[in-house]
Formats: sequence, C-alpha cells, structure tokens
Amino acid sequence: MSIEFMKDSHSSGVLKEMLIPLVQEWFFQKFEDFSKTQLYGVKTIYDRKNILISAPTGGTKTLTAFLGIINYLVGLALKNELEDKIYAVYTSPLKALSNDIFVNLEEPLSEIYALAEKKGLEMQKIKVGLRTGDTSPSERAKMAKNVPHIFVTTPESLAIVLTSPKFGENFNSLEFIIVDEIHAMTNKRGTYLSLTLERLAELSLIEPVRIGLSATISPLEEVAKFLVGSERDCLIANVRLNKKIEINLDFPGKDILETETLDSQKDLYSKLDKIIEKHRTTLIFTNTRAATERIIHYLDMHYPGKYEGLIGAHHSSMSKDQRFIIEERLRKGDLKVVVSSTSLELGLDIGSIDIVILLKSPKSVSRALQRIGRAGHKLHDNPKGEFIVLDRDDLVECSILMKNMIEKRIDKVEFPKNALDVLSQQIYGMAITKIWNIDNMLKVIRKSYCYEKLTKNDFFEIISYLSGEYSLEHRHVYAKIWYDKETGQIGKRGKLARVIYMTNIGTIPSESFISVVISSPVEMKGSVIGKIDESFLEKMKRGDVFVLGGQKYEFLYSRGMKAYVKSNVSQKVTIPSWFSEMLPLNFDVARDIGKFRKLVKEKIEDKKKCTDFIKEYVYCNDKIAKEIYNYFYEQHKFSEIPDLSTIVIEKFKEEKEYLVFHTLFGRRVNDVLSRAYGYAAARLKVRDIQIGINDNGFYLSGASLDVNKILKFVKSKDIDTILKEAIEKTEILKRRFRHCAGRSLMILRNYKGLEKSAGKQQVYSSILYSAVKKISNEFPLLKEARREVFEDMMDIENAKKILELIEKNKIKIKNVNLPIASPFGLNLLIQGRVDLIKIEDRVSFLKRIDKIYWKMFACCGKF
Amino acid sequence: MIKYIGKCLLVVENSEKILVIGDLHLGFEEVLNQSGILVGRKMFEEILFELSKIFEKVGKVNKIVLLGDVKHSFGKIVGQEWKEILDLIDYLNSKLNKNGALIIIKGNHDKILGPVVAKRDLEIHDYFIFGKYCFLHGHRGFEEIYDRKVKSWILGHGHPAVKISEGIKIEKYKCFLEGEFNKMKVVLVPSFFEYNQGSDPRENDLGYGFNFNLEKFNVKIVSDELTVLDFGKLENLK
Repeated sequence: MSIEFMKDSHSSGVLKEMLIPLVQEWFFQKFEDFSKTQLYGVKTIYDRKNILISAPTGGTKTLTAFLGIINYLVGLALKNELEDKIYAVYTSPLKALSNDIFVNLEEPLSEIYALAEKKGLEMQKIKVGLRTGDTSPSERAKMAKNVPHIFVTTPESLAIVLTSPKFGENFNSLEFIIVDEIHAMTNKRGTYLSLTLERLAELSLIEPVRIGLSATISPLEEVAKFLVGSERDCLIANVRLNKKIEINLDFPGKDILETETLDSQKDLYSKLDKIIEKHRTTLIFTNTRAATERIIHYLDMHYPGKYEGLIGAHHSSMSKDQRFIIEERLRKGDLKVVVSSTSLELGLDIGSIDIVILLKSPKSVSRALQRIGRAGHKLHDNPKGEFIVLDRDDLVECSILMKNMIEKRIDKVEFPKNALDVLSQQIYGMAITKIWNIDNMLKVIRKSYCYEKLTKNDFFEIISYLSGEYSLEHRHVYAKIWYDKETGQIGKRGKLARVIYMTNIGTIPSESFISVVISSPVEMKGSVIGKIDESFLEKMKRGDVFVLGGQKYEFLYSRGMKAYVKSNVSQKVTIPSWFSEMLPLNFDVARDIGKFRKLVKEKIEDKKKCTDFIKEYVYCNDKIAKEIYNYFYEQHKFSEIPDLSTIVIEKFKEEKEYLVFHTLFGRRVNDVLSRAYGYAAARLKVRDIQIGINDNGFYLSGASLDVNKILKFVKSKDIDTILKEAIEKTEILKRRFRHCAGRSLMILRNYKGLEKSAGKQQVYSSILYSAVKKISNEFPLLKEARREVFEDMMDIENAKKILELIEKNKIKIKNVNLPIASPFGLNLLIQGRVDLIKIEDRVSFLKRIDKIYWKMFACCGKF
Repeated sequence: MIKYIGKCLLVVENSEKILVIGDLHLGFEEVLNQSGILVGRKMFEEILFELSKIFEKVGKVNKIVLLGDVKHSFGKIVGQEWKEILDLIDYLNSKLNKNGALIIIKGNHDKILGPVVAKRDLEIHDYFIFGKYCFLHGHRGFEEIYDRKVKSWILGHGHPAVKISEGIKIEKYKCFLEGEFNKMKVVLVPSFFEYNQGSDPRENDLGYGFNFNLEKFNVKIVSDELTVLDFGKLENLK
C-alpha cells in the first residue's frame, strides 16, 4: 500500500472538461470558479482513487466530495442507466446533518433538475436517503422499498443497516464511501467505523472508493491509513487556504493575580460584554457544561435583561430539539452570543460567527483551530478569535497554543488500536449477517488499520467470550455466537440476536448519573442542580462539601437515584471531584511549553532581554510578556524553573509531607507517572498515598516520603506491571470497565423489550466489576478496560519514554526543599485532580481506625 | 446470650445454639441476567464457602434462623433460586444437631417462597419466638412480637453498613446495629449478601417498619469472616 501527498492540484480546465455539460452549466451559474479544495479532490474522486482531503473549515469539502459523484450520477440519469442500488454512502458523526446535506447535495441536485427541465432534457430521479438514529420507522420502511442512490447516515446507523438482511443487499455494488469529520473519529467511535467500512467493502462486489474529509489535523498519513485500512492506497490533499488567523490573548483586569478575586469576575464579564457589543455574533467556548451555564447566568447578573432572548447555550447534555433551536436561531442571526462547551466544535453549519472567544485553554492546537474556525466559516472570511485566560498557567499554555496556531504547528492525534469491546460488538454483527469462516473473518478485521496488528490470541479470546466459554455452566448467559472448532465456522446464536444487536449498537457509553436535588434552604427545595456520578456518591458521606457547577453544596442523604444537598454553604470543600474528566493537554504542546520555559530560563536574569524574547516568541503584547516574565521570575527566585529537560521535585511539609513533581508532559502522561510514583511511595510505607494531578505536574502526599527510594522504585521496564497494580482498585478502572461491558454487549441497554435506565446499569458497575473478577482477572473485557485506561485515557507509551530519558540522564532531576508551595506548584495543589493510591487493605484500615477510636474515647467513655 | 460471628449471630438460649443468618438474596445474578446484565453465577458457591468457615468455628447447632429475603426476585421464582434454595436447605440441614430445626422467616422479597421450601417439608414464618428472643424480618410488625415474654428482637431487612473515612479515603463495612426500642433490646443484622456492603443509616432510610432511633444504636462493624469491632454509638461515628 502507498500513502502519498498530492503535490499539485488539477487545473480548472481539466476539471471543467471532466464535468458533463449540464453539471458544468449549473456549476458556473452558481460559482465563479472551482475552489482550491475542488481542484484537488473532484477529479481524483472521479478517477476512482481513494483520497483524504484535509482543509480548514469553510473549505467547501462536502461539495468537493459530492461534485464528482453528482456528475457521474447525473450522467447515468440522463442516459436512463441509473440502477436501483446505493451508489454512494456518506457518513458523518453528526446526527443533525440535514441542513448541510441540503446545502451540499439536495439543493445542487434540484437546481440541476430545474436546469434540465428548462433545457427539455429527460432525466431519471437521483434519490437521496437520510438515515440516522432519529429516522422514523415509517421513513425507514419507505427507504427499504424505494432504495436511495446516495445514502446519508451516521456510523451507528450504517452498522445497523449493514446487518439488516434485505437492506444490506443494496450495498452489493457500492461505488463511493464518504467519511466526513474524520478528525472527530480518533476514538472508539472511529475504531468502530473502521470495522464497519471493512464490512461494507467485504459486502460489496466492487471495491468502493473511499473519500475522507478532515479539518486541520496531524499526522495526515495516520488519518489516511485509518480511512483506507492496512492494504489500500490513498492520496492526501492537504489543502491550505491562505486564511490569515486573527488571534489574540488577554486576561481581564490589570494584573492576572487579581483575576481570581470577586472583582475580576466583574472585569471578566465587562470584557466579554465589550467584545460581544463590538461584534454581530460571538461564540464563546468553555470546556465544561457547567461553565457554559455559569457564564450565561453571570452575564445576565452583571447586565440584567441586556442579553435576554439574545443569548443561548449549546452543549451535549441539552436535548437534540433544544440544540436544534439554538442552531436555527444562530443561522437566522437571531442570537448575539452563544456559549458552548465542545458541542459546536464540529462542522455543523451555524451561519456566520464574527468572533470566537476561547475561555480557558482548549488544550490542543487542532482543537483551538477548529474552534476559531467557526468564525469565518465562509470561504474568504478569516477566522478570528481571542483567548481569555484566568490564571497564570493558562496564560503560558495559551501563549504557546497561539504561537503554534500562527506557525501552523498542529499537534498529533492517535487512533485507539485493537479495542476488544468494539471488536466483540462487530463480530456479533458480522455473525448475524452470515456464517463466517473464522480465518476469513480475522482477515477482514485485520484490514482495518485499527486492527492491523490484532493478535490471534486476543481475537480468539473474544470469540471465546462471545461463544460463552467463560461461563461453561451457564453458557446461555453469555453465548451470542456459536463457533465450531472443527469446521472453523462462526454464526449467531438465538432468535433475538438481530434485535439485541440493533437495539444495543454503539460505542458512546450511556453515562448515568445521580441527580443532585436541593433539600435546604426551603425556598429552593426540590430544584435539581445537576448530576454526579454514582461512584462519586459512594465516596461521600453526610456532611461532605463538594463543588458542582462552580457552587458548593453539602451532602445530606440519598434516596434512590437522587442525592439531597444543602445549598449556600460556606464550609471548605472536603471532597474533590474525582471524575471530572477534563480535556488533557496535548503532549506535543506540553513539550513546546517545556522548551519555552527553557528558553526563558536562560535569559531570566535580564528582564528587558527576556520580555522582548517572550514578546517575539509567542507573538504577544507587553502586558502579557510582563506577566509571563513575572511568573517565571518568581519561580526562579523561590525554587527553580522546571523545563523540557529538567524535572524539579519540591518537598515541603504541612500536616503531611508533600512532594511536588514538576513534570510538564500533560495530564495523560502525568496520570501514569503519578500513579507509578504514588504506588512506590505507598508500597514503601504500606500506607495509602494521596496524589494530585494536572497537566503541569503532580504531587504525592503522605506521612513521610523518601524521594530517592521512590524514584528508584519506578523503572521504565516495569511500568506496565506497576501501573496494572496501581489502578486495580481505582474507580476509574471500574467505570471504564462498565463502559467496555456496555460496548461489548455484556450489559444490554435494551433487552427483551425492557428499556433499562442507564441508572440501573450505573448502580451495578461495582457489582459487575466484582462479578467479572470472579470469572478471571484476565477476562478479555477487563483487559480492554485496562488498555483503555493505559492507552486512551492515559499515555503509557510517552510516560515510558520519559522514564527512559530520566534513566539515560537526558532529563535531569533537581530536588528542592521549600518552606511552602512554589508559585508553579500552587495551581497544582489547588486544582489538581485528586485520587488515592490504595495499598492498605480494608481490614487493616478498619483495625487501625478502631485503634484511633479507642484512644479517642478511652478517656470519655466510648461505651 | 448473643455472640457475633462475622456477619452472623450465635444466640444461646435454654442451652440451645441458634445460628442467625441475614438476608441472602439468592438468585440475584439471574435477575441481573434477565434484565440484560450478563454476569456469571458465582455467588452461591461463595456463600457456601463463607458458611463453611462459620460452621468450622461454631460446630453443629440446634437451630438455624434465616432472617428473610432468602431469595432476591419479587413475586416470582427464577430457575436459579429453586435450585439454590433447595441446595442451601440441604446444606444447612446437614449442619443441624439431631432434632435440630431450620427456621425460615418471610421477607418482603419472599412473596412466594412457600412452594419451594415445601419441597423439603418446611414452612415459612412471619416471625419466630424462642425463649426471650424474637426473630423477624423487620419490614413490618406483628401483634405477637410485643409479647411480655419477649425481651429481644433480632431483625434482618435493612442491610445496615457504615462508611468509615480518613482524609479522602472512604470504605464501607457491613455492621450490626444494637440498641433499644420499647424497652427491648434490638439487634439489626447486616445482609449476608456479598455483592455489596449495604446502606449507611446516616444517609439512607433503611426501611424498617419501626421507628428506631438509630443514632443511639451501637455500631459493631464486621471486620473479617469471624470477628466484629465495636465502634460505639452511631451518632459518635465520624
């Protein structure tokens, strides 16, 4: 196979010649000339070559993909040669694609028809069928009878129709597959799609041409391989539009250290207000749903009534209808400002946005570009955005993001490999369509780039799981397929197989939550303020104070799926939120910040030279440069500036001892390092160790910590073993296991007509985990949960590399003793995500606490 | 006299040894299976293993009392329950002295347990009074349990457990709650069911059919298979 970048685009003349007269006439009535993207893509597709088209938002990608196909189909339709079959499949992860499809497919088609009619040309009808999770049964039935020529769908719905016996036949001679928004598929949804594409190719007698459409993303070779699989060729069109990015960085108020005070809240909202006033439409991105609501609430508080009817929220926990209303109003220009968490990042057409505000760091260059690309969505508009940061770590981070955006240095993405839960769902689907030969099945699976290196062992373990071999005495419980070892054949088991598969398909875990309800004060009684994870509730006891949506609440009691709390509390937070899975800082960006630290450090004693350097390096103004300089200088004076090749470990003592590791490698790597070192510390003292993690580093806290012994304990070659031990008792593993169990259909959302609330699944997550541990500690889905934690959630590969660099002395470690936390350590200690490395078992813990009780109450009469 | 043996109680009365076992919820896994949660069936094996440890310590007994909710599913009997209940009865019978008796109390989950235990010529009881002790499930009361003779109630039903914490570490343990009600001694027995610990009375309503003042009850935490640790009054537990 070969993956190749296209050096040149085709000429406008060649393209024009390629189009049949009718399509040509329509095109030039509507557009002046071909866009750059079209010059690369249209002819390549027409020539039946696989292509990945990467272009920034607004680069007319969708029409590029369709134009060659429309041209081909119109040609057939004019000759009356259009058959009753699906010629092209278009898939996009967005359910609400009807508008985009209207603009890029239905409208062109109807205009071509009008033109044909005007010219008195006879033409068959080219049918477009839309099938998503929202398509009604009657529409589906209609489509089954009246087969569309172009089938528009989501990855999940595509897998469903593939498995339906009659409709599946319509793909028998499929010619084109378009995969849109491919950059949003670097997750299990993508892994799933990659197998669906192979199933589709296997089903079709001709090899369909694959067309991938992507926003700016890197490495494109990787994405191309994902698109075409392990055996096919692919061309890459990396279309760079000469759009100049207008990007700025600022913080509210004069001094960023004051940003955290109440006053600066006023500054922040007045700053937002000013930007909104200056522009027709403003889009604000935050990173969390809670922040989205908070900003709307506070804007209204500071400017009562001003934004009434002009502001809207858009985030993933809103219902589809609610979101659609917001999108509609945006397109119509009714809204002045929209606040979104991540849901508006994808290429949904939302009309014209003038400016995008990035509140808090978007954590990666591609995400930042994607977000600001929402402004200037039109071909010739420049994307325009502004970072607004609220603390000093964010300030440094966003400066580097801004630099990389301007210099177009895109961070790298990866696709999950060999995910066993997704694999089991797909094997089940495959077994439902027909009886397979096992070698042939493995061959088809390995054609997917995500399963290219799937081991026979893992494959057969999943076959064992699906055929019920892990529960011999109750085979009927597990068995979804049968496998005959003699003949090597695999088929489905049970009459309900198809129904179970189709109603439980998908990779997005149905998260389930406990509603948090106010019980006091009386005037707010009964109002639901948000949701928390069930396992979080397990970790709380009466009287604990926690944060939800930026407000503090005291936990009182729980009933069923509700937790009752007291609002307006002033006590200190007693319990950190374990499970707020925040966006992790990209590893490449983290390293770039490390490099920046090193360069600044070299010049730190010369203030003038240093600030000038900062200004030039990150393209910022005086105010920002001065602030960054001050931050670094304080750290330099107080402790030492950690950088790309220096890890600084600071030790200080409060009630307990703290070791703060400044390891600026992003949360995914720090998650591994902190747990490994934490586990070492816990093992050395046989006591639990508290850890805190963020993108810039981590800390350990415990009774007494011996840095050298802890460092010696962790070796790069042992990291897998250590980490496996360290996460064994964590909630994270249990939670991920539940997700894997859902994806591999060990937990069925829909079963025998009962739609079970996800809540019920949630309550059973720990039960499920202990049940599985009873079967085998190496149960394939448990292995997958660990893989997901190690590779997708954390980044064990890069963590291993860092440890190797430490061992080779390429990264040096500096130990510093301090009276209190350093400036760089402060945010970590305040905001780090906290967890516990458990080493002390339940019984010893109980006995130790019992002794403490005896001491406490011995004098005052415990009994 | 009451002895705490892990999750169970050994009551000695009129020189007879009575082993008391809390809610078992047999058939739990099959009920999960039926609702689409496809876990294996390992619970029964483990219950027998735990019981064997207890009998190793206490030897054969004169009576065994099951405090109700022997089976998990409401209203119907799932296949797994039939077999397991009968196997359990046979096992427990083998641990009784000559002329010993197995007494099964009816729980709120046990709507139609009768037909199963009838296979072994057993009945189910709303409550069982022996000497000064009264054994009942606990979701509701009966006139007879207020008899003057009765000095102690022993109840199942609530699955009491408590959370113990230190810093950010929290663990939950099954526990007995021991206190007074109507001048009677009351012992609330934790569930024998091993899939979860139970509910903390400080956060959940345990659903007893009586208005116990649990704050004043003594907490005896099940530490391991055979021992408990006394943690004093619930209201003092941090």
